Amino acid sequence: MASLIACPHCGPRPKEEFTVRGDAGITRPAPDAGEDAWYAYVYLRDNPRGRHKEHWHHTSGCRRWLVVERDTMTHAIYKVTDASAPGETA
Amino acid sequence: MADFALLHRPALAIAKSGSFGAPSTGKRITLTALPEGHVLHVLAARGGGDLTGLIPRIGDGSAHAVRPYGPGQWFVIGDASLSAAEIFGKTPVLDGKASISDQGQGRVRIGISGAAVEAVLAKGTAVDLALSNFPVGHSAMTLVGHISALISRTGAENFELLVLRGFAESLWDELIQMGLEFGVDAKTAR
Ligand SMILES: [Zn+2]
Repeated sequence: MASLIACPHCGPRPKEEFTVRGDAGITRPAPDAGEDAWYAYVYLRDNPRGRHKEHWHHTSGCRRWLVVERDTMTHAIYKVTDASAPGETA
Repeated sequence: MADFALLHRPALAIAKSGSFGAPSTGKRITLTALPEGHVLHVLAARGGGDLTGLIPRIGDGSAHAVRPYGPGQWFVIGDASLSAAEIFGKTPVLDGKASISDQGQGRVRIGISGAAVEAVLAKGTAVDLALSNFPVGHSAMTLVGHISALISRTGAENFELLVLRGFAESLWDELIQMGLEFGVDAKTAR
């Protein structure tokens, strides 16, 4: 697990200040998309090795949702942006 | 109308008080339970633009009354307690660009000062508190140990911590522990 996350608002902070929600790449289906689409959205997740985008919440800091792009194998952090930035959230 | 008047008791009224730790190092830490006056949480409306010039007009004009918390969020703090009507009376100043939530009984302030204050707080937070990085007037919401608090610098050797009321006494006890090597004088609201 990455140990320091550079929050775009607060600067580098330890991971203990954050809550991880998970994959930032999944898109909420339409209400009438059907059971399979909703089942996949709620329960099914890949377990990627390598570069991965996730939603992290700076719970004990600015309380903003962030998109953290990191490597699940090397723990390297590539990019941290506010989730409300254009193009960040589906 | 409430059936009975709520009795307001300062959160740190029965907290530990007195001198603790090393007898005299020349770097003693002073802990002070600060007045539970007003704590206003100001939240910007979406698309309200830059409000940094507007927010101080909510405050009492004292130094460090406005403490940035995160994007579009501030705490506005003062020693005087304000009635609901007095708080509501401030909303026209914001012109619909932000709203105010009264946190007066939800968060309390602890003052901490002394020559070693940076070293003491560094035991609890990863934020770089060096004066060059964290100048007077700067604030940061962070964890102090396991307790979330807003740290604000009010002087070269003076900080204030704004903490949720229910955690105030735990944080107080931890700050005493963190300062033992330098000696601590803890002054509660009694
Ligand atoms: Zn942050």
